Amino acid sequence: MRAVEPQLVSAVEPQLVRTVEALLFLSNDPLSAGELAEATQASERDVAGAIAQLRLHYAPGESGIRLRELAGGWTFTSDPAAEEAARRLFSRTRVAALTPAQAETLAIVSYLQPVSRPEITRIRGVSADSATSTLLDRELIEEAGHSQFGAVLYRTTTQFLKLFGLRSLDELPEISRWDPTPEEQGQLRERLLRAGEARAEVP
Amino acid sequence: MSVASFELDLEIFSGPFDLLLTLVLREEVDLMELELAEVVLAYLDHLESRGELDLEAATEFIVLIAALLELKSRLMLAGEEEGLDALAELEPEHAAEELLARMLDARRYRSAAAHLRELLARERGVRFRDAPLPTHLRRVIMQPAPGSADPLILGEAIGRLLSAPPAINLEHVAVPRVPVAERVAHLRRLLRRGSFSFDEAVAGADRMTVAVTVFALLELYKRGEANWAQAENFGDIAVHAASPPATERGALERADLALAAGGAM
Repeated sequence: MRAVEPQLVSAVEPQLVRTVEALLFLSNDPLSAGELAEATQASERDVAGAIAQLRLHYAPGESGIRLRELAGGWTFTSDPAAEEAARRLFSRTRVAALTPAQAETLAIVSYLQPVSRPEITRIRGVSADSATSTLLDRELIEEAGHSQFGAVLYRTTTQFLKLFGLRSLDELPEISRWDPTPEEQGQLRERLLRAGEARAEVP
Repeated sequence: MSVASFELDLEIFSGPFDLLLTLVLREEVDLMELELAEVVLAYLDHLESRGELDLEAATEFIVLIAALLELKSRLMLAGEEEGLDALAELEPEHAAEELLARMLDARRYRSAAAHLRELLARERGVRFRDAPLPTHLRRVIMQPAPGSADPLILGEAIGRLLSAPPAINLEHVAVPRVPVAERVAHLRRLLRRGSFSFDEAVAGADRMTVAVTVFALLELYKRGEANWAQAENFGDIAVHAASPPATERGALERADLALAAGGAM
């Protein structure tokens, strides 16, 4: 948790803090400081102060509710410590794990969006149809217009950022982080060739 | 067991699949001479002999065979598309490079996928509010449709839906039937003059009759009874009689009987 600037906290009107808290409670989707400022007719600076104060109030260990910055705004979530009890209360699990195919498809969409299904298939080397429709059903991706060739394009949703704990897509590491080094590339090619030669020598 | 070690015994290659792949990539085996269908059949035999389906291995095989097919298609088309778009057309060796590049790309996104799964696992147990806003706070308030709360009106509406609509009379829709045998007989009659024009043979006929007449003409050509010439596309077709060898006549007549009995379009 980041440190809260004390002068921000002390300068805020208590009523604004309560109003911001109420708006966050009412909204299903994360609210940005801009949206909160517009609704409360306060300055963004005051809203930031109100949020800072609320973060103290909802700090881990203080409340069963957490205040988190996700998907470009602020939103309440449950304390993970309540999960076991929550699962007994609501039969549905929060979110099922992703299959490897779904995770790969989601990774390609999140990095290359907007991207079409044929492009996903091309990269994965296998069809992405079933994974794509599951991700659509789970509202992790959504349609984003059509490519110049008429294929539907996909992008990730706010739901994706919320569930994956991301403030924005910028928080994803650079894709180049997983670039194979030239050595690894060479090794991959070499391994292919060597395997062939080794077998060729066997009479 | 991986795909790599499954053994092939083909006309131009005999040995394990991964060796074949390597040789193709090094262009020591000519992909043009390799019957990929045989490789697929051999793999199916291999699967059957094992009696169980290893999805992981089967997927690997499908990816590899698909890449080979694409490579081969490019090779086969390379000659014909020359000059069309030099940049878009890949040289065979570049195609092999691209195959490798694609494998590396897929690996990159597999790693990214693993990262996403970790992120999701880290958020386990975090739930969000999932409640609709109280009605009076919604921006758009939908009024119920007029009458939707009145059981009598609803009952009447569903009653109309439940009664079957009157059957549609299809008597005026006739299925045109044009027997091939009839058109063959027609053409033969015209052929007795030695030659005729196709336009003349189908003068005033509908589309279906024209199509079946073409079919009949092909039939006569097949039997060696007629030849034709067409000076230009969509131009008139001049049909000439061509007498078939005498020895085949008996067989032809039997075929005619069969045609007359069953052939109609």
